[in-house]
Amino acid sequence: MAEYRAEVVIWMLSGTLSLVMMLVWMAQAAAAPGGQIRGYAPAEFATYFLSTWLVSQLLVVWVAHELDFEIRQGTLSPQLLRPVDPLWLHFASHVAERLVRIVPLLALLTLFTVMSGASFTREWWAYPAALGLAALGFGVRFLYEYTLGLLAFWTESSASFQEVVWLVYAALGGMFAPLSFYPEWVQRLSVWTPFPYMLGLPAQLLAGKATLAQAGRGALVMLVWLAAFWLLRGLVWRAGLRKYGAVGA
Amino acid sequence: MRRYFRLARIFLGATLAAQLEYRANFVGAVLASLGEVGVALLGISILFGQPGVTQVGGWSFRAALLVTGFFMLTEGVISVFIQPNMSRIAEAVRTGSMDFTLLKPIDAQFNVSTRNLNLLRAPDLLIGLGLIAYAASALTVTLPGVLAALMLYASAVVIVYCIWLGLSTTAFWFVKTQNVTELFNGVFGAARFPVTAFPVPVRAMLTFVIPVAFITTVPAQALTGTLSVPVALTSPLVAAALFVATRLFWRRAVASYTSASS
Repeated sequence: MAEYRAEVVIWMLSGTLSLVMMLVWMAQAAAAPGGQIRGYAPAEFATYFLSTWLVSQLLVVWVAHELDFEIRQGTLSPQLLRPVDPLWLHFASHVAERLVRIVPLLALLTLFTVMSGASFTREWWAYPAALGLAALGFGVRFLYEYTLGLLAFWTESSASFQEVVWLVYAALGGMFAPLSFYPEWVQRLSVWTPFPYMLGLPAQLLAGKATLAQAGRGALVMLVWLAAFWLLRGLVWRAGLRKYGAVGA
Repeated sequence: MRRYFRLARIFLGATLAAQLEYRANFVGAVLASLGEVGVALLGISILFGQPGVTQVGGWSFRAALLVTGFFMLTEGVISVFIQPNMSRIAEAVRTGSMDFTLLKPIDAQFNVSTRNLNLLRAPDLLIGLGLIAYAASALTVTLPGVLAALMLYASAVVIVYCIWLGLSTTAFWFVKTQNVTELFNGVFGAARFPVTAFPVPVRAMLTFVIPVAFITTVPAQALTGTLSVPVALTSPLVAAALFVATRLFWRRAVASYTSASS
């Protein structure tokens, strides 16, 4: 992965939705009477959105794209001869990319922090808690994206499903605004999904606006989802292989 | 000139025939379009959904929706006309099939820019136009405003095309350019909001460094009649300058092209 250093930086910069929303909200708060919206001053918006940016960078997954390619081009076949499930190969390459990503990520984060006046929490426990949630969130996202990628066994449009699911992830994860800004019915719906806990909650922890108890509850919900997606992935994988074998043989 | 029109028509027929082969893709493309418009609308509606917020950067909801409409329309223009062609330049340079393009007795830039279309994303164009019409229906729009908006949007399309062509032309030296266009997409995401919604330093960057402001905000301003004359004149000038610059850049790139084979 270190081979792709320049590309890793570009991929990081292209995930700019959080940064765009940050700038818009900061300008909004600065123009609002009292200099804040729902208790968020410009600096607090900066902290929140930089945190979501940071977390979303740790959650980047492209496995669906690769599976789509491998299934369509047939390069999946040699991988099936190996004694290890191809899942782990993809998982390892994602983890390796994260290690390459972390250094430029922190450098950019420092730069943006200085420029925007963001300030992160001073409670030390928030950092391991946020990292733990992000790790769980990565697991969840990796598994559901993997499952979506496997749809390539049946349909040509698996990439589009991925785009729509990304929308739900970005919306319910709180990439447009802190979740408390959303209409109430959306908030009530979102607590049943893994998205607020994988993106918004770790970001709120880093911003010093969430408690350890909330982190614990979020982790529990995500563990349930992790198990569910693990089972689902297994089922889809087995069904897909039967279909793939029928075509390839 | 007539020859080029006829060629464009032949190219259109050929891509249409190729795409109708994969009818199942249409479902996927519609889903993707809905995703795009969903992101655009969600961002703006949460922004205006806050208590006490009636304006963003001096724009009312309907006026800001106009900008979102132009944003969707431009997303459509990029996915239908620009990206399917530009993404192939790098591929053609890498595999050496650019040789065939350069040997043909028509202008190579015309050929690489018009050969492919992705008609499956045409719904984006309709969604964009629909949003513009809906937003404009609640605003006072005059005929001169519409004409000015048409002209300014034409320069906006030229600007977008030139930026993409410029970025894709770097493929002649750096084989992979997919990433650079991703970067443009990232910055272009800022165009879903009126440029005045951003802090002043960023506004300047979106106007002068990467001219995103001219693509969506300026045509919307023209439509509502809030555009100042100097800005109205700047947009076509920027478009013309970019067109000449990318044309020169393209010729330079072609001159330095050495085939990938042998």
